Amino acid sequence: MKTISVTKAASKGIVMGKAFLVVQQNLEADKKLIRDSEKEIEVKKFEKAVKDTVADLQVLAKDNEIFAAHMDVASDPDLHDSVVDKINNELKNAQLALEEYIDATVEMFENLDDEYLRERAADMKDVGKRIMCHLKGIRSNPFEGINEETIVIAEDLAPSDTANMDFKFVRGFITEGGGVTSHVAIMARNREIPAIVGVAGFRSEVTNNDYIILDALGAKIIINPDERTKQEYIKKAEEYKEMKAKLESMNGLPATTVDGRTVELFANIGNIPDAENAVAKGAEGVGLFRSEFLYMENTKFPTEEEQFTTYKAAVETLKKPVIIRTLDIGGDKELSYYKFDVEENPFLGWRAIRISLDLKDVFKTQLRALLRASAYGDIRIMYPMIISVEEFLAANEILEECKQELRRDSIPFNNSIQTGIMIETPASVMCSDDLAREVDFFSIGTNDLTQYLLAVDRGNQKIAKMYNSFHPAVMRAINKVIESGHKYGKIVGMCGEFASDEKALPVLLGMGLDEFSMTATEIASTRYNVRNLNYKECQKLAKEICIQSTIAEVMDLINNFMNKDK
Amino acid sequence: MVSKKVTLTNKTGLHARPASNLVAFVKKFQSTVTIINGEKKANAASIINVLTLGAKQGTELEIVADGADEAVAVEEIAKYIADLKE
Repeated sequence: MKTISVTKAASKGIVMGKAFLVVQQNLEADKKLIRDSEKEIEVKKFEKAVKDTVADLQVLAKDNEIFAAHMDVASDPDLHDSVVDKINNELKNAQLALEEYIDATVEMFENLDDEYLRERAADMKDVGKRIMCHLKGIRSNPFEGINEETIVIAEDLAPSDTANMDFKFVRGFITEGGGVTSHVAIMARNREIPAIVGVAGFRSEVTNNDYIILDALGAKIIINPDERTKQEYIKKAEEYKEMKAKLESMNGLPATTVDGRTVELFANIGNIPDAENAVAKGAEGVGLFRSEFLYMENTKFPTEEEQFTTYKAAVETLKKPVIIRTLDIGGDKELSYYKFDVEENPFLGWRAIRISLDLKDVFKTQLRALLRASAYGDIRIMYPMIISVEEFLAANEILEECKQELRRDSIPFNNSIQTGIMIETPASVMCSDDLAREVDFFSIGTNDLTQYLLAVDRGNQKIAKMYNSFHPAVMRAINKVIESGHKYGKIVGMCGEFASDEKALPVLLGMGLDEFSMTATEIASTRYNVRNLNYKECQKLAKEICIQSTIAEVMDLINNFMNKDK
Repeated sequence: MVSKKVTLTNKTGLHARPASNLVAFVKKFQSTVTIINGEKKANAASIINVLTLGAKQGTELEIVADGADEAVAVEEIAKYIADLKE
């Protein structure tokens, strides 16, 4: 038995099964040149590989039409003629001829500034891989042979890998690479398959068929456990399953404390699949739609029409309030198609609302799309990184211009669309009274607020320990913002990681936070916790917290509060 | 061998679905059909080739057919290209 402690649990849960190490297939061509006498054999080999590939694809095409397009590529006459030509006239073996043709075509497609052709480049690569597998006589699905409960272990997993996976027996993932936002992490969370990523060197610790316990709750991996440990974990896994079922059974019930204070539980989303997931997890709205993904996953600024379609789909999926944050780039988020100057302090530089107010056309395109979508549901606009009343007014003035244009063209929109701001700068905290007078709502972004208040770069590992949202300065700032908002009857929400922090919950609730916006998968447990808390006691706790001088004192108070109930 | 010139008027050009439709249409004929866009030549039966022509709306293309049904092929393919809508 061997236990490994890990840091990056990408998708929660406890599972166990046989280890399955994904063998990275070597699809590189044999580089050997052939003799004249071998030409005919190589051509035959190639033609047979193509025929087998087309046959494979024919089966796949029944369920997915993308493979019909792949069939066209596999049987393309130019592919055939060029490869045969390389074999006959350049004495390349079939593998090498194929590789050279695919590489050259892919490069050509990728270099054309055209999204459609770039996708075709991916098709070319896929088809090339399939033919190559037949040429080399290896199986094209690296997951073949999984037929009992399995933990899949790989260096990393790409979308094209997981597309081949039959999930029937896959219980968990462990990868050496990848962060919590990598493809495998996101896919695992969406499918609710436990996963641990970033375990450097893990593949040299295990062999196929070792028995693995993947504990993504305790952040542990156990290889070949003894019987006692195994039983212990089977029990733990069972308890976790029951707890999850218990939590989810409360979906549909309001997040109301035992003494009757109700708050709203919203989801943070970045696209339409997230919106669907938010509905499934019982979100009562969206507290943060990160519109920057629309921009970052594009090859140009997204058009009004593209944005309109997405925003409309989001609000029609939710049928509940959707707060959409306008473009929040700069800092660590860049666009492939726009050149940003190199800045000394990007987080204190040209980012978020500052960019929007400067690039007025880009901003207006987004605002018009938002307004048009507001005819289809409760869309609310949120401006990021505001430091002054002037900025908020300037943004709303541009919004007013857009409204006039739409009115002139008789395009419908919600005239009383709500506009609010993110509270994430110390300036907005200090001026929260003045801002509260103007806005419709506040949403506290704790990630940036903590970084700016404490002057601690959240990406800097050396000072990562100092980054702590329980710092008295952050606690008091949050309290002040909620008070200011409520003084003017405005809703105050939170959309940072802190909103789903179990220890922060009683404090935030006690301070009077109205809306908690979080990753959809956290909603069920937050709902459960809210329904077991007493608002009056939380209020007392919050008051105490605001007069503590150290993080240690804050944590002591919270820990005592939470243990008292148990 | 016969040839004919035709101008692309559809919005997409020889791209995406119009390109794959054309390739499927060309396969009806026995002749070898080549499409020429300036310096670039494409085997009209090859979707890979046709896409790399990068022929956009407004481009003048030359259709060349060589084979038993070359006369009909050139006429019908030129008409097919001129009539592309999408």
